[in-house]
Amino acid sequence: MCDQTFLAVVFGPCDKCSKEKPLRAVYIKSEQLSYCSLCVEMMATEGLHENETLASLKTEAESLKGKLEEERAKLHDVELHQVAERVEALGQFVMKTRRTLKGHGNKVLCMDWCKDKRRIVSSSQDGKVIVWDSFTTNKEHAVTMPCTWVMACAYAPSGCAIACGGLDNKCSVYPLTFDKNENMAAKKKSVAMHTNYLSACSFTNSDMQILTASGDGTCALWDVESGQLLQSFHGHGADVLCLDLAPSETGNTFVSGGCDKKAMVWDMRSGQCIQSFETHDSDINSVRYYPSGDAFASGSDDATCRLYDLRADREVAIYSKESIIFGASSVDFSLSGRLLFAGYNDYTINVWDVLKGSRVSILFGHENRVSTLRVSPDGTAFCSGSWDHTLRIWA
Amino acid sequence: MKELMSNSTTSISQARKAVEQLKMEAYMDRMKVSKAAADLLAYCDAHIGEDPLIIPVPASENPFREKKLFCTIL
Repeated sequence: MCDQTFLAVVFGPCDKCSKEKPLRAVYIKSEQLSYCSLCVEMMATEGLHENETLASLKTEAESLKGKLEEERAKLHDVELHQVAERVEALGQFVMKTRRTLKGHGNKVLCMDWCKDKRRIVSSSQDGKVIVWDSFTTNKEHAVTMPCTWVMACAYAPSGCAIACGGLDNKCSVYPLTFDKNENMAAKKKSVAMHTNYLSACSFTNSDMQILTASGDGTCALWDVESGQLLQSFHGHGADVLCLDLAPSETGNTFVSGGCDKKAMVWDMRSGQCIQSFETHDSDINSVRYYPSGDAFASGSDDATCRLYDLRADREVAIYSKESIIFGASSVDFSLSGRLLFAGYNDYTINVWDVLKGSRVSILFGHENRVSTLRVSPDGTAFCSGSWDHTLRIWA
Repeated sequence: MKELMSNSTTSISQARKAVEQLKMEAYMDRMKVSKAAADLLAYCDAHIGEDPLIIPVPASENPFREKKLFCTIL
């Protein structure tokens, strides 16, 4: 479903140099051509054409931005919540903390579920990364990173490894072993190298590739085995804080959000930005795809969460209330996409009805800001991590 | 002088790239919000029955709501 909606980024002969490479679309005198990325760079740095000056290019950019807004507005015929009026309202929700995972010595910064719907990896400010069994609350593995503020952690799809990183500017992969004689830290593999802190990481559909986002303003795709950089994604004007991969099996896109208030959708094969959205008023802390892959939600320091539809190419809903003044640090959808769970810096979790735009429930329990939130792979529960050193499983 | 020139080439190339990016975004195919919203609704409707957080499954089938403790035989 996702692949159909975007520009077909073809692999084929470049219109300029005729080499077989991944291509991207360029417009020259209103004609669409396909150039490889090298030719795009070369075209961009060629000497000035007759009528072009920096000022004229800037004016052209401004007028294109205006045209973009116009095109988007033309299709804005109705609001999502209006279409959703005919949908049945949700009943009352009873969601409680079912497990509390205690063991971190400092702020919990990130967590991820294993595909077995049971194990959880979490990382904290003191450098500890712990793998938990959420059913029993037992700790199965623990590793101490050589740096503090481990802001990103991820579970491999196979469940056999975890990736984490933070102020060390790297993303390291640790294979998980149940052998009591083996020291987990000894098998560590450094995969990604950035020039600033690592803010988010995620395995792609396999254990072999990792996608990272960094405070240096870029995202990058790495091969785990060799540590080689496969593709880098430039375009954000400031730190990139979050990323999420499109849910489809064949999906080749991901969305990232950053301190430049922009959410950008990227094609993983070509490194090109396909769409970008700039309606938030402050840093975007978290982005998450809608389960169908046709939309994504974002949570921001401006105290709102927003839903962007990729095919309509615009924001279609805002989840906010006057009484909510603290930033949303983390968002995730329930299995059907009807509910949006958002963790806030005022220690609460708000549950929003995605379609109607109203708040369904507010969950209290954490004693400090909620920093991370993920729904389990089968949707039976969600886990929230907080600066109060604990993780809570809600169901 | 050389620095000035290379600065202007960089900013020109950046401006050119920005223009190309905007052109690409402006010309992309979009669909109406009404259709996109209808699709989102349809997806929700289709999957809401399987969503354990909305239609709660019986407590015995939700491993988190069960009260009994988990023990493993070593």
